[in-house]
Amino acid sequence: MRHFLSTYGTALAGLAIVIFFAVATPAFATPGNLSIILKETSFLAILALGFALALMTAELDLSIAEVASLAAVITGALVHAGQPVWIAVAAGLGAGLLCGVANGLAVTSLRVPSLIATLGTAAVAKGLAFMITQGVAFVGRWPTGFTGLARGSLLGVPNLVWWLVGVAATIFVFVNWTRAGSHLVATGEAEEAARLAGIRTARMKRLGLGLSGLLAGGTAVLLAASVSSAAPNMAGDHFLYAIAAVLLGMTMFTPGKPNVIGTLVAAFTLKALGNGLILLGAAYYVQDIVLGLIIVGSVALSAAAMRRAAFVKKLSFRT
Amino acid sequence: MKKMLASLALGANFVAAALLPTAAHAFDLVVIGFQMSSETHARVANAASAAAKQKGWNVSVLNSEGSLPKHAEQLDTLVQRKPDAILIAMGKPVEAEAQLKSAKDAGIPVLTVMAGTSAHTLFDIQVNEYKVGAEAALYLLGQMNYQGNILTQRFDGNVGTRIRGKVLDAVLSENTGVKVAGTHTMARTQSWRDDVRNGMQALLLKNQGQVQGIWASFDGQAYVIDDMLKAQGVKKGEIPLVSIDGGVDTYRRIADPESTLTATVAIPFEEMGKQAVEALDTIVVKKQPKDSVTAGPYLFLDAVLVDSRNVKQFMGN
Repeated sequence: MRHFLSTYGTALAGLAIVIFFAVATPAFATPGNLSIILKETSFLAILALGFALALMTAELDLSIAEVASLAAVITGALVHAGQPVWIAVAAGLGAGLLCGVANGLAVTSLRVPSLIATLGTAAVAKGLAFMITQGVAFVGRWPTGFTGLARGSLLGVPNLVWWLVGVAATIFVFVNWTRAGSHLVATGEAEEAARLAGIRTARMKRLGLGLSGLLAGGTAVLLAASVSSAAPNMAGDHFLYAIAAVLLGMTMFTPGKPNVIGTLVAAFTLKALGNGLILLGAAYYVQDIVLGLIIVGSVALSAAAMRRAAFVKKLSFRT
Repeated sequence: MKKMLASLALGANFVAAALLPTAAHAFDLVVIGFQMSSETHARVANAASAAAKQKGWNVSVLNSEGSLPKHAEQLDTLVQRKPDAILIAMGKPVEAEAQLKSAKDAGIPVLTVMAGTSAHTLFDIQVNEYKVGAEAALYLLGQMNYQGNILTQRFDGNVGTRIRGKVLDAVLSENTGVKVAGTHTMARTQSWRDDVRNGMQALLLKNQGQVQGIWASFDGQAYVIDDMLKAQGVKKGEIPLVSIDGGVDTYRRIADPESTLTATVAIPFEEMGKQAVEALDTIVVKKQPKDSVTAGPYLFLDAVLVDSRNVKQFMGN
């Protein structure tokens, strides 16, 4: 039972939140509203999965939000200028990847701690975004070929959900079923042992941080397409939520480790929470307070469950 | 299991009741402040909220935290909730066009304040920013007798403050006796006070003794500059400092002989919030035609220039 709680406790808490809102407000569990939650989850989850990939190599990527904002601005500038959509999308993804690779090189080649390196990249990205926009957002009625990336639907399912499923499935397969993925995880779990086992840990760190940047670029493209505009710091709001999603995700399924499914469930829970509170009519400051309490509470509960499980294991070992 | 579900439902209802505004079946208004950490956004949202509560309406206030994606998400969610009306303070109707259209399609009337017009909203309550910008610029030049150098503190990330800056440029282009000795454009929005302080400190140092006037794009910037000038021993009127917005602290400073803040153009933010609620009452509750409130996409309110001559009239506000 304790193992079950430590593995699924936070997920169950998330489920309880969903059930609570479904009972408390009739508009919550409607297909239209669930579709909105899933769409909103997609931005957050894709960004958070990038952070999780960097964290799997035991590196922090604190630049994700600013890199996403820069990539959105670059994409928006090109769409606004009437460039073909594919060029704008490629430029957004490329900008994200470039920032991620720069982070990776700073960490592995220049030996700058990722906390510092990614903060530096965030500052540069922010400055560039303001330089490109001069503080004025690119706004317009952009071609549906671009906005459709986020606003359209396929087989009745919003495109954003398809993007999320595609990205999450690819990362899940990569991390769990490929050699490179297992090397990535091994680098984060025991870097020295991994290095002695022949894994090129520096390359894995570059890969993790590079993918984090790429996914920030992907989030940026979808964000810009969704709101048909691009502004500096437009993804800033997602920063803490993305970190919260990964940390919450680490309390479930494989406790203590960043994981794909946990991140997805946590991202959905966070978005369901925000959505449900709006439907309930809670004031904006109540939302912030409740969100903070739930994050701290669920992580504390999960940590307590893990400690209890470890204590029981120790006792049984002694006897 | 049934018992558990019943308990959960009871608990959910209890918590929901604690979170929800009361007054069942009352008119349900949602007020969205685009960035409640900005004083002017909060003033509109809070005034609207207070006016609606006085009418016995259910009011909930949301904060988009200055984030377009969050703003869009909130509107999407509200379309599901179906309130009786939505009031947006300083929103972004072009960026949120899809969401506003959904609201219109769902039959939810949306009214905006200082946001700009949209085909999917009733109308926008505004002051004429061009007129406001011109009043502030001409007042400053008048204080300088249309001769000398000025420093300008700008903010281009907001439509209103950007327009004020452009109007200042237009005024200066016709009054060539006044030169811009230095300009600082505020880039950061969260630590903007530091940004303004650093930028203006450098400009004041560089142009020591050669500045005859300072223009700030909004009052918050002027407060920072005022504090700096006071610390440097500058007396009221030596370097006229003019900005735009109005508010209790601004009026206090204009009236204070120690402060260097000379004048502001007072935008009636609270009045806008109140008038927005009145307009919704007329159009949505009393079912009067929209044209009975305003014929076009805007309802313009007057902004008043406030300086030492009339500041006392505003001190009680």
